[in-house]
Amino acid sequence: MQRRILGLALAAVTVAGVAGCGSSDSASSAASPAGDGKTTQVTVGVIPIVDVAPLYLGQKRGFFGSRGIELKMVTAQGGAAIIPGVVSGQFQFGFSNTTSLMLAQTKGVPVKSVVNGAASNGKVGADVTAVLVKKDSSIKSAKDLAGHTVAVNTLQNIGDTTVRESVRKDGGDPAEVKFVEIPFDQMPAALDGGRVDAAWMGEPAQTIAKAQGARAVASPFAETDPNLTVATYFTSTKIAQQNPDLVKKFNEAMTESLKYASEHPDEARQILTTYTKISGDVLTKLTLPNWPAQVDTASLEKLAGLGEQDGIFGGKKPDIGALFS
Amino acid sequence: MVVRGLAGLAGLLAVLEVLPRTPLVSADYLPPASTIGRAFWHLLGEGTFWSALGDTLTGWGTGLAIAVLAGVAAGVVIGSVPVLRAATASTIEFLRPIPSVALIPVAVLLYGTDLRSKLLLVVYASFWQVLVQVLAGLQDADPVAQDTARSYRLGTWGRIRYVLWPTALPYVMTGVRLAATVALVLAVTAELVIGAPGLGQQLAVAQTSGAVPEVYALVLTTGLIGVAVNLAARAVEHRVLHWHQSQRGESQAR
Amino acid sequence: MTVRIAARRALFAVALPAVLFAVWWFASADSTDFYLPPLSTILQKFPEVWTADRLMSDVVPSLLRLAAGYLLATAVGIALGLAVGSHRVLRDVLEPVLELFRAIPPPVLVPVIMLFAGIGDTMKIIVVASGCVWPILLNTVEGVRAVDEVLGDTCRSYGITGPTRLWHLVLRSASPQILTGMRQALSIGIILMVISEMFASSNGLGFTIVQFQRSFAIPEMWSGVLLLGLLGFLLSLFFRFAENRALAWYHGLRRAQRDS
Repeated sequence: MQRRILGLALAAVTVAGVAGCGSSDSASSAASPAGDGKTTQVTVGVIPIVDVAPLYLGQKRGFFGSRGIELKMVTAQGGAAIIPGVVSGQFQFGFSNTTSLMLAQTKGVPVKSVVNGAASNGKVGADVTAVLVKKDSSIKSAKDLAGHTVAVNTLQNIGDTTVRESVRKDGGDPAEVKFVEIPFDQMPAALDGGRVDAAWMGEPAQTIAKAQGARAVASPFAETDPNLTVATYFTSTKIAQQNPDLVKKFNEAMTESLKYASEHPDEARQILTTYTKISGDVLTKLTLPNWPAQVDTASLEKLAGLGEQDGIFGGKKPDIGALFS
Repeated sequence: MVVRGLAGLAGLLAVLEVLPRTPLVSADYLPPASTIGRAFWHLLGEGTFWSALGDTLTGWGTGLAIAVLAGVAAGVVIGSVPVLRAATASTIEFLRPIPSVALIPVAVLLYGTDLRSKLLLVVYASFWQVLVQVLAGLQDADPVAQDTARSYRLGTWGRIRYVLWPTALPYVMTGVRLAATVALVLAVTAELVIGAPGLGQQLAVAQTSGAVPEVYALVLTTGLIGVAVNLAARAVEHRVLHWHQSQRGESQAR
Repeated sequence: MTVRIAARRALFAVALPAVLFAVWWFASADSTDFYLPPLSTILQKFPEVWTADRLMSDVVPSLLRLAAGYLLATAVGIALGLAVGSHRVLRDVLEPVLELFRAIPPPVLVPVIMLFAGIGDTMKIIVVASGCVWPILLNTVEGVRAVDEVLGDTCRSYGITGPTRLWHLVLRSASPQILTGMRQALSIGIILMVISEMFASSNGLGFTIVQFQRSFAIPEMWSGVLLLGLLGFLLSLFFRFAENRALAWYHGLRRAQRDS
């Protein structure tokens, strides 16, 4: 009997493995210039978060299909996988926060932003990201963060530079804030367990933490600049030069998608259920970012200045005009 | 044996059920077993889950097969020739501790998110496991038997076939079992970070969505595959090593 | 050991790496790929990046955590392996549970460990131990199961039982395989040291490599990877030295069998 069970287990594993009842198609098609009536397969590297909802919504509404672009989304954990993918041409486009793109540019990574991604909604106290503390914490406002540990998802990036700005504006000493790196989804637990004094969270982590009683003491994006451009879609300089037609079409389709998503926030919220596992109460409560069609150059200059101040660009200066034009 | 194994798993589930109800840890971050079970049941009804499972198993199986074949072949060649063993030792020790995590950008650079980038990481990590066990096993060969083989004028192949291989086999089997799990871990990790289709990618989505029960249900799935893989490896081991000391006591009881 | 033998060993140890490095050097010499810079660039960065200060502030804490995690894993792995290897019932009950945990990828396990162990050094030590323990445990179990029956019976008929039997018979005959497990665990430990430092860290070799990767300092990142390999090599040398001392009786036995 036992031998039979073993045999069955063995058979099941082998069959599932060999039959490869998977969805992977090994053909990574390169983008060819889209002619009339021909579709181009375009792979976009994204992070499965709220900010990229317009892309999925635009795909569903046919804004890309009508321009001969067949989208394939690849969800990675972050820039570590997306940027190399775009640079090598495995992905034609990628989604990244703006500080990372500036970092890449100052280090000589051949990337170029092509269209806006997401922006702060400008509402202090109700923005897409917030610094949260426990209900009974002694921290009342941003300046109190000095001398405490604050969790951010990535060190030396958009999180800590904007949190420092919030502290600075509130009259505290940003140099006194100690940052520690914890993934967004682990932050509610770390905050609740007292492992960190405060945590800078995006969605849906902040909605989950607020439901557990956490309190917001700062809105770094809105406090840095109410129109802060947080993330954009980018491509490699090679594709930008060799295939301007494709870039133009992607830009047009994305611009239309951003506009549509801004006008139909409920549909944007609904599309989240197709590529994330956000559901129920969190889905109805979470804060949506703004999706303006254009990047806000002034806010990007400001963000670059903050990064320089914190020394994350290694003494170089990002060229906002060249990167985001 | 299966009954006892199930008892062990049941014990684990009981601990998982009780733990979140104690002040030690909040159910928000470690849901009780019943909640995880519900999420798991829900997963089983989703088509995406099964295709993800298929993707993960494809990457795992192919990667493991390549790693075992290459590891055994390289191990036998290196292990039977003393000069080669001396010449490669330092290189092997140098390459082994390099984490596949550091190779992720390279994998993405070369192959994007398709199967090959997953295979690169899986093979790199599990190859060393097999190789080192094979080398250790060949070193453990009985010198008396070796001399006997020599006096009977067995050729190199004969020596490998009748003397070295039987001694090394238990080591090799342990190596295969180690590698099987390492391959699974790496397949899931690669999917998690790179976004190649599979259980790891589902896991990444569940994590960023803050869907805690789904995260644990997927983790449990990975663990259960590990148990299945081990059962299969044990079955193979029993077939191959039925003559060996470590298996003899087991056979009457089965 | 004469000078000549030592020289030959050293030659063997550096010959192949030298060849491989030469191949890498020439193959990457005119590489324009951002993520795969020429080896000359990487080697140029190496001394700039890994200064004495950096070694003190990043590598030393990593090594201390690695050592603590590795020792913990060795103790747990051998103790549990002896118990599981000697008792069938225990083995049957525990094996599926252990296999379940073994198949969980460390990046997923870390958050769970964080719930119980916080985000400090304790967490990182446990993460290292959680990965190192498997090869030691598995090899110990197999080693114990393979104890020679004749010797076992001899012990029994002489009334050697309990701790004495464990020490003199079981541990001794399983030790070659236990040491193989420990050797495997060493390189896994280095890998997990890196993974554990990707979470909630502020120093360490793994942390530094990930920071380089994130800030696109790719040559610096590769220099860190080289350092990891170097570390693995040095640790394995050290391990071999310790192993030769611990297993002197075993190698002696093998030699005696050979000479008889």
